[in-house]
Parts: sequence; structure tokens; C-alpha cells
Amino acid sequence: MTFYEAEIKRIRSICYANDKQLETVIAVRNFIDQHFEETLDLDQLSRVGLTSKYHLLRLFKQYYGLTPRQYLIDKRIAASKEQLRKGTSVTECCWAVGFASLGSFSTLFKARTGQSPREYQKEQLSRST
Amino acid sequence: MKVTIIGIPVRDQAKALQFYTEVLGFIKKKDLPLGGGNRWLTVVSAEAPDGPEILLEPAPLHFEPSKVFQDALMDAGIPYTQFDVESVDAEYERLTQLGVAFSVQPTEMGTVKVAVFNDTCGNNIQIVEML
Repeated sequence: MTFYEAEIKRIRSICYANDKQLETVIAVRNFIDQHFEETLDLDQLSRVGLTSKYHLLRLFKQYYGLTPRQYLIDKRIAASKEQLRKGTSVTECCWAVGFASLGSFSTLFKARTGQSPREYQKEQLSRST
Repeated sequence: MKVTIIGIPVRDQAKALQFYTEVLGFIKKKDLPLGGGNRWLTVVSAEAPDGPEILLEPAPLHFEPSKVFQDALMDAGIPYTQFDVESVDAEYERLTQLGVAFSVQPTEMGTVKVAVFNDTCGNNIQIVEML
């Protein structure tokens, strides 16, 4: 066994020994992946994970390094980039990926990509022509 | 500042280009002569061609500490870097059929599944799937 394989086993036994907790966060993450276009909140996610919302918040952050909300936003932004590259309008794209307002979509998009949705789309479409 | 390039040391740039494009499926992006048979050689992911480039750099051939470091990582089985994949099992199957040697079989580790293969250019590379 290599040093690295031994390290994988060691870290797994320390950090990932609780199968029940892992099942909970993986189920919630899969639910977000499949329903990110819908209105999702922590109450709903905690019902999916069969746990309290504060416990879920702590567990999700512990195992994925992000809160469920941060993960959801990243998922929506990634999906919106795909839509924008296909030429979907910024407004349509905003609703299609689950954002509740154009203002919050634009602000979050810019904070994560450094460009507004319109700037991003313009750049991507000019590259493909 | 932006992250645009990640360097991977390789022992043979031509062989590395062949492995990273024909086996892993990356696309060659830049290839400039640098003298002495060395090249500024980069590849990008076919799924994200506008993403960061991987510089296949011949550092171990010209800078002994780079070779020593690369050998030490290889001996310990430590990946030089890692790439995200949709399915570790599917990539493991595909690459194994192409003759790629894995030092770590697909293994779940918490919220990810990983596997590690030899890139035939002096490095272990890890593939990762988020679960």
C-alpha cells in the first residue's frame, strides 16, 4: 500500500466514519441538483434529509465546505452560464434557473464570475462566431 | 488576478501530449518552440475549452529538484493534481480499457469518489466525482 492509500484510509476513518450523516448530506445535495430551478428553502431541505434545519446546515457545511444556500447558488449560476451561452435572454435565464429576482441574479452572477450576465453572454457569443 | 494555467511536470513533452489528448481527451491549445527541443505546450479540457490551460512543462529534465520532487510524489502514490469527472467508475472503465494503470481503484471518501492513475509522464493524477 502506498503512503497516499494509507492516508486515504486514515482520513476516511477520522472524518467520514458516520455513514448516516453522509447519507443525509448526499441525499440533500442530490435533491438540490434535481430541483435547483424550483423554490427551495432550508425547511424543505431538512425534510428531505430527515433532520433539523440547523443540524443540516452544520452537516452540509462540514462535508461540502459550503452551506446548502451557497451550493444552490453555485448550481444555479453554473446552469445560467450554460443557458446564456445558448443565447437565452438574461431575464428568461434568471427565471429558468430558479432565481426569484433579476436584481439578485445579476448581483450574484457578477460576484461569482466577475462579469454581469449580459457581459458574460456577449463575450461567449462573440467567441463562438 | 486570474488562474489561467496549471503546470504539470513531464519527462517527455511529445509523449505527454499524446497521453493527455489521445487518452484523456484534452485538446491542444498552444504549442510554441522554446529552443533546445523544449515547447510551451498547453492543453485544455474538451468540456471547458475556455477554462484553465494545463502547461505540460519539461521541468524535471532541466531542474534536478523538480525531478526529485516528482519522483518522491510518484513513489508515495501522491497525485500531482486532480481533475473533476462526472463518473469515476465510467472513467476508470474507459481508461483501464485504454491500458492506463491505476494505483488507487475507485474509492469513496466521504462526499467524493476518487481514483488515481499513472499519466506515464512521471505523475499520479487523481480523478474526483462529487457524490
